[in-house]
Amino acid sequence: MNILNNLKDYRFYCLSLALLSMLMIFIKPHSIKLNPTYNFTFIVDITRSMNAKDYQLKNEAVSRLQFIKQALNKVVLKLPCESKVGLGIFTERKSTLLFEPIEVCSSYAEIENVIDMIDWRMVWAADSRISKGLASTMTQLQNSGSHIIFLTDGQEAPPVNPRYKTDFSDLKGKLKGLLVGVGGLHNVPIPKYNNQGQQQGFYKQGDVPHRSTFGMAPTSSVPVEGYNARNAPFGSAKVSGDQHLTHLYEPYLQQLSHEVGWSYHRLEMSEHLNSVLQTPEFAKQQKGLSDNRTYFAVFSLILLAVIYFPSLRKVNYF
Amino acid sequence: MNLAVDYPWVLLALLLNLLPLFNNGVSQSHYPSVQILPADILSSFISVLIKMIAIAAITFLVLALAGLNRGQQSREHIGYGAHIVLLLDISKSMDYTYAGKAPDGSEESKSSAAKRLLTEFVKKRPHDRIGVAGYSTSPLFFMPLTENKQAVLAAISATDLPALAYTNISKGLLMGLSFFQQQSAQTGSRIILMVSDGAAVIDPDSEAKIRRWSKQLNVRLYWIFMRSENSPGLYEKPEDPRDDNAGAMPERYLHLFFSSLGIPYKAYQAENPRAVQEAINDINKLENMPLYYVEKIPKQDLSTQCYLLASLFISLLLAFKLVEAKP
Repeated sequence: MNILNNLKDYRFYCLSLALLSMLMIFIKPHSIKLNPTYNFTFIVDITRSMNAKDYQLKNEAVSRLQFIKQALNKVVLKLPCESKVGLGIFTERKSTLLFEPIEVCSSYAEIENVIDMIDWRMVWAADSRISKGLASTMTQLQNSGSHIIFLTDGQEAPPVNPRYKTDFSDLKGKLKGLLVGVGGLHNVPIPKYNNQGQQQGFYKQGDVPHRSTFGMAPTSSVPVEGYNARNAPFGSAKVSGDQHLTHLYEPYLQQLSHEVGWSYHRLEMSEHLNSVLQTPEFAKQQKGLSDNRTYFAVFSLILLAVIYFPSLRKVNYF
Repeated sequence: MNLAVDYPWVLLALLLNLLPLFNNGVSQSHYPSVQILPADILSSFISVLIKMIAIAAITFLVLALAGLNRGQQSREHIGYGAHIVLLLDISKSMDYTYAGKAPDGSEESKSSAAKRLLTEFVKKRPHDRIGVAGYSTSPLFFMPLTENKQAVLAAISATDLPALAYTNISKGLLMGLSFFQQQSAQTGSRIILMVSDGAAVIDPDSEAKIRRWSKQLNVRLYWIFMRSENSPGLYEKPEDPRDDNAGAMPERYLHLFFSSLGIPYKAYQAENPRAVQEAINDINKLENMPLYYVEKIPKQDLSTQCYLLASLFISLLLAFKLVEAKP
């Protein structure tokens, strides 16, 4: 009769439930759930203007390139496992990949190492033809299944002749991506380095062209000063501008991003970049297992706590 | 055996173990006076036993929730392998075939042949640490020395994209050597495997550095020279002695320079993908010296064992509950 009597005790029910819950741990330990995963190829502009120091890290002025590196390291760290990251650099008219997208969790150390090694000295040619570079990157990667994150300050060097704008109509909508503007909105000088890699002051006004003199001059009804069809199609006037300084050409990048059908983001904090990257637009739902065991175990633990919770009435315990 | 938990804060729940000390989970009944009950060793023993079982059940549940595991371990091995830096030429000419034409489908370009054969090579070498660097006008850092074959293959595969500008071999070599400079001590042989289809003059500054570093770092150098049609080979001597200089015959002079470095060096002149394959097979055979390496054993999850033990103890408690006596 003891057994029947004991059935009336609430502790019996608690223990039975706890045991059932423990059984569930072994019967249904996992359930399938959809996890968002991402596939990004980061293309970093490494042209000279990216050496300009207009970011702050720990109260120290750092170059745009250094700021990008630390931001990318943080972003990669935040990506969920099974996501893939590739890395490339841009200069001249095209970009080159350093590695194709690889899984982040198993290769984080390698990805971080390569990001840290990015250097402006990797450039294989001068010039900074951003729109051309963007177009060639998109063409190269259009079948890779990866989303392009293009980080640049938008300074075309030398300036572009408006006659020869890059045509994105074939590429628009082919693949998704994000244009990230890097730099501050105020002009800062661009450091100049010698061939030993030592800084030698900054670029001066006379060091760089301030307008495009490539190809045919833009036609206009107003004749330019000193115009000569053969010898001086762009006129003879000395043009000086602020091309030796650099700032973030935001309206230009916004217009570019509009032309390729991407969105634009200004790089300020890695957290913000992270939130524009981890969006449903870039996410691919991948089946993953979620652990159910925790819930069952916590339930059992609570039941045990209820059983042994000291009764508040004064009783003898033996 | 080193045990570790993933979420140490969960261990605070071990405080729940205090509960059974104050309450043995047995239903209580009123009794006029406990003093008149004789002390019974067996009863006390069982009472303590029940408490201990309860404590054990709670403890294992908490440990499982905290993610108890046998932490990452490493085991030392002697295997066969080396530390290899693949130094790849990514200049424009690598995009052409051996005949010096743009690839038209019947013949692959030198860069895709190199990519294909190097991919096979990497897959054949499970214990090597492999790094990837490239050079055109400037050196490019693709992948540090790593055991992660997936990452190495991703870097090799990226070199297949349209190539860049010119050939600056000295910068590339220095970049390749710098991979070993970061290593504190040498374990296993250090190899630079250079794949290129041309050569360039080495400037005097770099020459001195390359000589010094390659000796200091105890590097072995292999050069697979993918010779295009009608281009001068490594061993050819010009007919006109006036042409016998580094500017006119960079390949020959680079070969002479490498031979003079005083390090183990071997050049392979490959005129077609098969010859490249043979060269790679040869290196594969040569570079199978014993290598001391550390294998990482990933952490082992112990939560299932904890759950099993907790279930066992809860069943015991249930059994005790069922045989509980009522006065």
